[in-house]
Amino acid sequence: MKLTTERSVLLKSLQHVQSVVERRNTIPILSNLMLSAEDTGVSLTATDMDIAVIDKAAAEVHQNGATTAPAHMLYDIVRKLPEGGQIALSTEGAADRMDIREGRSNFTLPCLPIEDFPAMTEGEFSHSFAVPAADLKRLIEKTRFAISTEETRYYLNGIYLHTPADDEPPALRSVATDGHRLAQVEVDLPDGAAGMPGVIVPRKAVNETIKLLEDHDEPVEVALSENKIRFAIGAAVLTSKLIDGTFPDYRRVIPSDNDKVMQIPGKAFADAVDRVSTISSDKTRAIKLSLESGKLTLSASSPEQASASEELSVDYDSGALDIGFNSRYVLDMTDQIEGDHMRFRMADAASPTLVSDGDDSRALYVLMPMRV
Amino acid sequence: MMALRLLPEHLVNRIAAGEVIERPAAALKELVENAIDAGAGRIEAVLGDGGRSLIAVVDDGHGMSRDELALAVTRHVTSKLPDDDLGNIRCLGFRGEALPSIGAVSRLSLTSRARGADQAWRLSVAAGKVGDPAPAALGPGTRVEVRDLFYATPARLKFMKSARAEAMAAADVINQLAMARPDIGFSLVTDGRATIRLDTTQGELMESRLARLKAVMGRDFADNALAIDTARDGIRLTGYAGLPTLDRGNARLQFLFVNGRPVRDKLIYGAVRGAYQDLIARHRHPLIALFLELAPDAVDVNVHPAKAEVRFREPGSVRGLIVGALRHALDGAGHRTATTIAAAALGAARPAPPGLFAPPVAAIGRHHPASELAEAAVAYQAPLAPPAAPEAGKDGEPVDALEDFPLGAARGQLHDSYVIAQTRDGLVIVDQHAAHERLVYERMKSALAAAGVARQMMLIPEVVELDASGAERLAARADQLAELGLVIEPFGAGAILVREVPALLGSVDVQGLVRDLADELAEIDQTSVLRERLDEICGTMACHGSVRAGRRLNAAEMNSLLREMEATPRSGQCNHGRPTYVELKLADIERLFGRR
Repeated sequence: MKLTTERSVLLKSLQHVQSVVERRNTIPILSNLMLSAEDTGVSLTATDMDIAVIDKAAAEVHQNGATTAPAHMLYDIVRKLPEGGQIALSTEGAADRMDIREGRSNFTLPCLPIEDFPAMTEGEFSHSFAVPAADLKRLIEKTRFAISTEETRYYLNGIYLHTPADDEPPALRSVATDGHRLAQVEVDLPDGAAGMPGVIVPRKAVNETIKLLEDHDEPVEVALSENKIRFAIGAAVLTSKLIDGTFPDYRRVIPSDNDKVMQIPGKAFADAVDRVSTISSDKTRAIKLSLESGKLTLSASSPEQASASEELSVDYDSGALDIGFNSRYVLDMTDQIEGDHMRFRMADAASPTLVSDGDDSRALYVLMPMRV
Repeated sequence: MMALRLLPEHLVNRIAAGEVIERPAAALKELVENAIDAGAGRIEAVLGDGGRSLIAVVDDGHGMSRDELALAVTRHVTSKLPDDDLGNIRCLGFRGEALPSIGAVSRLSLTSRARGADQAWRLSVAAGKVGDPAPAALGPGTRVEVRDLFYATPARLKFMKSARAEAMAAADVINQLAMARPDIGFSLVTDGRATIRLDTTQGELMESRLARLKAVMGRDFADNALAIDTARDGIRLTGYAGLPTLDRGNARLQFLFVNGRPVRDKLIYGAVRGAYQDLIARHRHPLIALFLELAPDAVDVNVHPAKAEVRFREPGSVRGLIVGALRHALDGAGHRTATTIAAAALGAARPAPPGLFAPPVAAIGRHHPASELAEAAVAYQAPLAPPAAPEAGKDGEPVDALEDFPLGAARGQLHDSYVIAQTRDGLVIVDQHAAHERLVYERMKSALAAAGVARQMMLIPEVVELDASGAERLAARADQLAELGLVIEPFGAGAILVREVPALLGSVDVQGLVRDLADELAEIDQTSVLRERLDEICGTMACHGSVRAGRRLNAAEMNSLLREMEATPRSGQCNHGRPTYVELKLADIERLFGRR
């Protein structure tokens, strides 16, 4: 293998793939990227056996060939090479070494045989469809904060991508929850997605996909089956295994008859929560919302006797209510609000609260209160 | 197929012996207990070849008559159940099994002279065959000799440990029984060597008990033990609890007695662990000797053949009493740390040969570099006036007055990590990070206790599958757990529904937590895991929120740290059980320099 490529082109591709590679590996080959040069470009493959990402970088190929090299080291080297440089990669010296040359810099990396590199079997995909990039971003970005990090309920460690039940209008919907809060977002159902199985996309795949979607506006080709999903984003292709589990029946926990409605400017509310919660410095991070007609009082106190409160004018007239929340959860949610106003629908201090974005009826959030 | 038949008496006895007399030490225990029950004032035990060739116990108790001797080696014969009531056991023994069991597996000879009788009688038993009583010579009391133990059961003989191991086990038996009865003198002679010699101790109960404990558990324990004497609901708890900084790698030096009977009871161990929780590192064990006295009908000792376990009618109140009393004593001890630490510090300081002794130049007079030499000179002239003194006096308090405090007046800081304070009769070295960590931690815990634990409700309640009894046990404790922020309810047979979790734990592994709780309930009937988890988080936060090593403190800060340590309970050790300070007495220091 021998090729020359521009530093910026190679760096971009490396950025796309390197983060899939785990920092520590028990299987040495998993620390490596596969580089494969063919005619007009080099394709880079990274995998952790659950996710595989392939990206192509344009290159002037002098000699076709393939090898594997340490991913993070290669990325760090290319990152530190001067902008605008021309990088030459070559395995001509020896089969188990790759030389990197740019200007007067020389590097040699150890290589492992490509035969050892695990290939992700693609298999058959039962459904495939094209989603506008903005829609896919929305499905992921507005829900991923609620993904659980706790491993015993593994089926919550991802985003549940599915089409709603027949009694609801058709859509492509994503849901994530960690058992304390829940986020649900919809977009128009793309052609070809009807009847797709509901799938749980693992957190890491979700985060990698978002990375690939940065500065990408073309529609994304999605293909999925019961146990795999593939996103084709421009030249990059991410294939991931899915979480093999049953996502809980989340519709049961979304309240439908909460009658205490509060409407509030999203930005002002978020800022006030952020300010008041400065006090609740411990891990509990509790904040109290005290509602009365037209007025919301946010308050917090700390074990060290510090306290804070702030009043906000709100659109509310459903009787006095005190309700506590984890301020982190509230802020995670307000981060997703884009409209001028957000709407809280509450029942009482011990039941789930429904939050929606004023201008966006297709995104909603459920927050379980905290007893304080 | 063989026909059913009743086993002959000698076989029954040998089978019983298998349970009661599992090793020589067990036989010794039975014999010494008999001697105690016989009202002896002095008990002498002799062991030959680890008890294999000889176990002899001589007492000066009330003895037995000729007729009683013959009865004594018959199964289920005892003098210790006067009204046939197993619910009212006041003696150590009661089953009437020991002597016949021993007789069944050895050559046993009993010599006894009843009090007031003018003659002693001897009875021999060999492998269960009882001979006739013969006249013998002996002072008042009883002498029991067991020779060739287990010769009738060769299989058991093969499983004997080395003579040394058996002799050590025997010594443990005597020591334990002796701890409960300071009014009786004990001695043990092993292969001609006197290994234990405990004289009767005089005086008031606690005093004589401490003297006996000192003889058995050592001087370190006696010097660093807190007296415990409390009673509630007809249960009296006395004894001594070691300071948390005096710890061991195992629980071997934890002695528990119920009505004078040494027991190894899980409930009591659990209570001790609970009381020392967060005072001692997780895998260290405090030294302790506790004596529980309660009405005989409130405890069932007839649970275990060797009576090592007991059952309480009201385990909750026994547990509560122990935890409460220990906590109270430990809180009262405040900032005390074990003197053994000072001893270790002195030991570490001593071996430096004079020629190589190059003291690290300390930063005591950090604003007066030149004064270091001066200081060395001044050290010979007590009372000291070190350079830091004027500084300490700045905040208005005369340094002399500060020296009256237990932790004294701060004189300086070494390596920006250790505070040196002078007391009336010594000096104190404080690890500033460890000490401050404890202070912050205690403050956090009391704040947490005052405010209650905030609970995050679950949007999707979590079902935890357990075994049926585990789930039931947990459900029975639901109230207690709710106070700590975990709200559960039964969810069919063998499952628990978790509705709310302590917000402090963040996104916690609910399954693991609930299982740990269930396991702990099953094992020691308490739920400290949750408390420990919460404390652990407080501990981590305390660690981050406290003054680090390497931070320079001024005199006011140092003195305020010392005063706060004196005022804070349990400040003698950090959250991990390490000592927060070492105190060196002037006398120790003088000894270090050969002045004494």
